[in-house]
Amino acid sequence: MLAPDATERFLPSVDRLESAMHAARRAFERGDTDGALGQLGVALKLKPEYDAAWILKGHVLQKAGDREAALDAFMQSLKCSGDSKEGWMGLASALHELGRLKEEAEAYDRLLAFDPLSIEAWIDKGAVLHELKDYSGAIRCYEEVLALRPEHGAAWNNKGAALLRLGQEAEAAGCFEEALHLDPDCVDAMANRVYLYETKAYHGEAVLWADRALRIREAPGLWYAKGLAHLGLLESTLAMRSFERALALDPTLKEAKAALRRATALRRKSDFYRGAYECFGTHLAGDPGCEECEIRPRCREVTP
Amino acid sequence: MSVPSAAEVEHADWPTLQRMCESLGLNPKGRSGVVRMRVLDHVRRRIRPESWRAGRDHMAALLTRLGYPNLSEDLWESTIRLDAPAPWVGLGQAQVAGGFLSEAAKSFDRAAQMGDRSALLHRAEALGAGGDYDRAIAACESYLADRPGNLRALGMKADFLARSGFKEEAARVLLAAADAHPEAPFLRSSAGTSFLKAGRPEVALEAFGLPKLADAPEIEGAINHGVALLVLGRTREAVDIFQKAIEADPDRVEALNNLAVAQLQLGQPELAAANLARAAKGVDSARIRLNLAKVAPNPAPRPRAKKPAARKKPKP
Repeated sequence: MLAPDATERFLPSVDRLESAMHAARRAFERGDTDGALGQLGVALKLKPEYDAAWILKGHVLQKAGDREAALDAFMQSLKCSGDSKEGWMGLASALHELGRLKEEAEAYDRLLAFDPLSIEAWIDKGAVLHELKDYSGAIRCYEEVLALRPEHGAAWNNKGAALLRLGQEAEAAGCFEEALHLDPDCVDAMANRVYLYETKAYHGEAVLWADRALRIREAPGLWYAKGLAHLGLLESTLAMRSFERALALDPTLKEAKAALRRATALRRKSDFYRGAYECFGTHLAGDPGCEECEIRPRCREVTP
Repeated sequence: MSVPSAAEVEHADWPTLQRMCESLGLNPKGRSGVVRMRVLDHVRRRIRPESWRAGRDHMAALLTRLGYPNLSEDLWESTIRLDAPAPWVGLGQAQVAGGFLSEAAKSFDRAAQMGDRSALLHRAEALGAGGDYDRAIAACESYLADRPGNLRALGMKADFLARSGFKEEAARVLLAAADAHPEAPFLRSSAGTSFLKAGRPEVALEAFGLPKLADAPEIEGAINHGVALLVLGRTREAVDIFQKAIEADPDRVEALNNLAVAQLQLGQPELAAANLARAAKGVDSARIRLNLAKVAPNPAPRPRAKKPAARKKPKP
């Protein structure tokens, strides 16, 4: 005769398993990682080879900051079910957090071997190849996404970013244009445009797009890029304000500190004031708006 | 001025663009491309539909249906306002689902006081579920005071009357509903059946009206019509109805049983036995078996066992 606890172990109750999983999910959703892990312990005792429980445990551990244990949980889930898309995506994200980028890329390859239409896997693989500086490989991944989903704004932006790294600025600009056409609020595409214009010394355009991006999301890097563009336009007060904002968001930004010093020095010599003209520095001969512009002479001075 | 379309902005010339800026309260200064982008941004934000997000009331209603009445109650309570009866109705439904019927009745009452008359029917349902048929009927009557012909309310009232034992009154309510809703012929059959159950076959017959050709949805009523005729001694008419019902649906065992009873009354025991045998094959019913036992010819009495003749003792 079996002892009562052994009976439970060998004849697990489906109801108990489901209620433990349900309780774990609820605990995870309300941020109670300890509670979630406790419930998952119950579930995995009842059914040790339950891939969904291992995957959830991996996510809980990731949230709790235990990356190695999370990685182990995702690997356990894949031992239970090797064709689990969620398991492979979880494993890849755990590897990413651990900085094991090559293995992360391999995880996406394993996933794509049985699910070649996974948009998430192609996008994330492209991102990790970008981080590994394999820009051509990243572009191939984004092209796979765009073949499946031509309206995928983020894929267009990422492709543009990789092209920018390869020095193909015209193609990159086209990709950012496409991304912004499909998603006019795509901040990343706006930020990439800022960097593209800044490298071409189109400071007026850079300020314009930095302002648009900052209206949606603040980032110290964007404020810094905006400050640099203002410096290029000899708008030292606006440049100072931008660098100060960048430093308020990230006090460790050394470049911003140096640039702030330069802006302060410039202010003693020159400080343009653009007034209501947000397009300052983008003068276009023959444009009706530019013809009426009150600060046209100064705009011409700083327009490349 | 109404917001221009994106196409209008895209193709507007410079003076038009300036006018658009003025009317929309936007900065009209700058390079034309930048001004156009400014107006387009404004238009895009104005015409972009707000993405739908489930409100607390939506979530509460879903939680009731998903089987979480306690959570639903909490959510409904958080949505209650002084000028809206709907949250009270939702709260009442959650309370019904949670088994708190008297609380639910109070919630529905609050909604009704705030002007939602349909809450009276919800209240009637909650009271009926708790077995308080008198107050459930009263709630239906309150609702019917404004909407005398409302089919749902009449049906509920009839149901509560029948459940509380007032079968004839229930039948009269159904008959009134049938008069108010000629588009629903099944109501007359229901009323007739109710009268029959209440022991008033002659009134039932009036309710059924003229015999109809039985089609599938009406067959139940037709069979009951036949029973009413049978009870009133109009056996041949009853037989006609049962036969039509069987033609329409040969598997209706109650029609076969009733036909057999009628045939028995007409002195046709063989036909009755055949029909009862068919009915007994279709369904295992004690009533049919009893009827069959009555009709089946009694088996011949067994010959009594003869006493064996006394053996003579063999002579030694």
